[in-house]
Amino acid sequence: MSKFKNENAVNYVLCFIYGCLTLFFIPHLPILFLTVLATLCFWNTRVIFANKNKPAANVANILAGCSLGLMFYSIGMSDTVLLFVAMLLLASLFKLLQAKTKKHYQVITTLTFFSLSSVYLFNQDILITLAVSSLFILNFAVLGLLESTQSLNVTFKKSGKLLLMALPLAVLLLLFLPKIPAFWQLPGPQLAKTGLSEDIDPFNIAKLANSDELVFRATFTEPLPNSPYYWRAIIHDEFDGNAWLTSDYIKYNKKGSSDLVTDNSAPIASYSVIVEPSSQKWLYGLAYSTSNTHNVNSNYQGLLNKENLNAKSIQYSVTSFSLKNLPLTLFQKKHYTQLKTTENSKTNNLVKQLKSKTKTDRELYKLLLNYFSNQSFTYTLTPTPMSGEDTIDQFMFENKRGFCGHYASAAAYIFRRAGLAARVVSGYLGGEYNKNTGVLTIRQYDAHAWVEVFIENKGWTIFDATAVVAPERLTGSLSQNQPLNTEFKSNLNFGLVSLSQYQAINWLRLELEALDYKWSSWVVGFDEQKQNTFLKSLFGKKYIWLVPLSLLLICVISFTAYFIYLNWPVKKVKDTPPIVKAYNDVLKIAKSQKINPDPTLTPTQTLDYIALKLPKASKPLYQFKHLFNQVRYGHKPFTKERKTQAKDLIKLIKSSK
Amino acid sequence: MPKNTPKRPTLFSSFKQRLFNKFIKNKHLKNSITLEHKTIYVLPSTLGWYFILVAALNYIMGTNYQNNLILVMSYLMMVMSVITILMGYSNAKGLTVTYKNVHPNFAPLNPTMQFMINSTHLCKSVDIIYQGNVKTQVLIDEVTTEPFLCTLTLPYNQRGHYLLARVKIKSNYPFGLVTVWSYIQVKKHVLVYPSLEKVFTNASLSQREDNHDSGIIKETGSEEFESLLPHQPQMGLNRISWKHYAKTQHLLVKDFVDFKATNALFDFNLMSGNTEQRLSQLCYLVCEATDKNIPFVLKLPTKTVSLNTGQTHKEACLTYLSMYDGRIP
Repeated sequence: MSKFKNENAVNYVLCFIYGCLTLFFIPHLPILFLTVLATLCFWNTRVIFANKNKPAANVANILAGCSLGLMFYSIGMSDTVLLFVAMLLLASLFKLLQAKTKKHYQVITTLTFFSLSSVYLFNQDILITLAVSSLFILNFAVLGLLESTQSLNVTFKKSGKLLLMALPLAVLLLLFLPKIPAFWQLPGPQLAKTGLSEDIDPFNIAKLANSDELVFRATFTEPLPNSPYYWRAIIHDEFDGNAWLTSDYIKYNKKGSSDLVTDNSAPIASYSVIVEPSSQKWLYGLAYSTSNTHNVNSNYQGLLNKENLNAKSIQYSVTSFSLKNLPLTLFQKKHYTQLKTTENSKTNNLVKQLKSKTKTDRELYKLLLNYFSNQSFTYTLTPTPMSGEDTIDQFMFENKRGFCGHYASAAAYIFRRAGLAARVVSGYLGGEYNKNTGVLTIRQYDAHAWVEVFIENKGWTIFDATAVVAPERLTGSLSQNQPLNTEFKSNLNFGLVSLSQYQAINWLRLELEALDYKWSSWVVGFDEQKQNTFLKSLFGKKYIWLVPLSLLLICVISFTAYFIYLNWPVKKVKDTPPIVKAYNDVLKIAKSQKINPDPTLTPTQTLDYIALKLPKASKPLYQFKHLFNQVRYGHKPFTKERKTQAKDLIKLIKSSK
Repeated sequence: MPKNTPKRPTLFSSFKQRLFNKFIKNKHLKNSITLEHKTIYVLPSTLGWYFILVAALNYIMGTNYQNNLILVMSYLMMVMSVITILMGYSNAKGLTVTYKNVHPNFAPLNPTMQFMINSTHLCKSVDIIYQGNVKTQVLIDEVTTEPFLCTLTLPYNQRGHYLLARVKIKSNYPFGLVTVWSYIQVKKHVLVYPSLEKVFTNASLSQREDNHDSGIIKETGSEEFESLLPHQPQMGLNRISWKHYAKTQHLLVKDFVDFKATNALFDFNLMSGNTEQRLSQLCYLVCEATDKNIPFVLKLPTKTVSLNTGQTHKEACLTYLSMYDGRIP
């Protein structure tokens, strides 16, 4: 059983798959290691092509040991996920190099399913997804090849068809199955965790841990600007009743800032930042920051982002401007004043009171600041957890104890309720300044959250209630260890920006960007929250229990339908042989000439009869008769040449009537 | 000739065997089985379990990294496993395997077993596995509605008498992820005759020397010249002894007989060597005698087969030779 018919094809296809995988990992793995992988692929192909024996076990084992050493040397031990993927690829290729029996190949093929999905850890582009999907089909075809004697073409088509059939169900499962949180914290594709999170939901936190982990260091080229330093990292612009979230509007708005820095204001600071390795995407800057460093994106809100996620520390230079006094667009105004809840009636009354006492935005700002300082609010890292629909009320009127997150949430809520554009910003506050080296060091416990409120004629202004509640403890940390928020940046616009002076290319670029946005937003970014919203919109809040039921029902129905289809008794329709079809065509021509031969005649007699009636077409008719007898009774195969001959003869008969 | 060393049955396989005997044996104890709802068993194959394991790993990776694409891969793999189960079941359903016969053989050649296989529809990748201590199998790529004769070599090459083990009908269609199987258990025996060891007739053939001339039966034949007879018109010209005619002008006809058509006695005790060798020699003699149409008596320490000739007689003798165990009943 060791040899099977498709062994060569299986080898070629597996080599091809691993070759493609090697290509996918070019940006992530060191060249040296990639060369090893490529060599292994090539070697295996060569061995099969030359019909040689696969290398002996001990040779391969020694080589595998060497390659393993090379892998540790070139990749290093810091990035465990990358190391794991590299090891998987290496092991599969060495196994392939030694594989002899069907079982070996089966093990490799199943492992390949895992290797293929590991590509998505690093890249979730549309193009990559398409490529990996076709490799997925190909891998299924390998399974088919191992089991049958059919050709690759046939098995590929078959598995493609089946997977296409399975896809809707798989998508349905993705949409409907509850997204459970991570079972355990795995190291990210690139290591580390930072204190910031994309969601600010302070009310259910009972204890906030302090960590002195280094986050970043900033070096100022010029004398330090005036403190305090609010290092902005994330904007939370969407309030869902309890938590402040980052909306898609912010997440996927990749518009660069360069074209927006049009006012002539001088920068308030320029400095360089070195960020410690982190799996998060965001970077840090003061006020409205822009950067021209490669691999760093500056966005519309003056925030900085990494172009791609990698474990290495990043150094970048920043130029910061003061937050701009550009008027808000209608959409922005609406977006930043939106509140999805009507709860918190006490706070709402408070807002009415405050509003009635003030005329301008500035006055409201001041009044609220006073309110926080006068109403005996206290700062704590061990707040009372709050739950329910009116957490803001509970905080504002009952507990009055909290950390920056509480104050920022409440203040932003109040501003929005009062009709002012407001957003919660999280980042770091302050830092430790070393006079000798001129370096400002920011650690995890410097994490902070505050509010940016848009005040008429002044623009975005920082409102920090913590500063008045606990001026001495401005270094409150917000270290929520949220598991990885792997937001992947996709690079679909392969340098099309540089060609944007051509209208067509520009159009294409914009279309691709739109597609990319949709992809990131709907496929890559389909998270728990989006799922909830989607399911609620589909079933309504009350009927959410219908979800598992309908999912089960759909699965059962589709499987049953498929099963019935498979077992549907097929009525055997014997195919008319092609030569008989051609004969029938001749009969039809005869009929159109009103020649009706006796149906009891044999085909030969019939053709003779027609020839007699159609003397002009007698020659091709005789030839056809000869051909017919050869194929039908002479057991001659109906080859391509004979087929064309039959066709030509029919044409001749038709034309020479 | 490689020697098949039968593996000792493992604990698991003996447990399986017991389970089979207890619950489902009766369903499969027939000479013909059609695979249908009651008689098909479906489970993921070893590869299928690996596949499901990888799907689960993908799921864990997908949830831990909140990666929708990996999750879709995992779901796809799960849906595919269900689809392959449905496909595998539908593929095997309607397959009919009918026991035809067993062909005994002379050691060290293996006996064979024959089945007629057909199906209600096109059925792909069917494995017929004989589940003795050593497994043998035939792979059939496609089974159609046309009955197809399939020959299974049985893993016995030593003289003996074996009860047929059950035969597994298995298919891993379409991707090897599921095993769809059934059994057919035929209540028959198969014989492996002793090997043929050539014996020179004169050396050990014990002709029945009863000292009676009548013991030799003369039959008109073609080999041995017997006498000259006067020519009769119906005798034709081809046996006329022209030599005599030239000398005597008398038409005489040569008469022949087959001398060997004598009764023979094949006695175990007259053979040389150990038991197996003696049996082998007897086996050869029995075959030779049947070929030459000599009636014979087979005498074993345990049994004597009375004088006869012909195929049935030969088969009876060979059966006794195969089953001989040296014990006197």
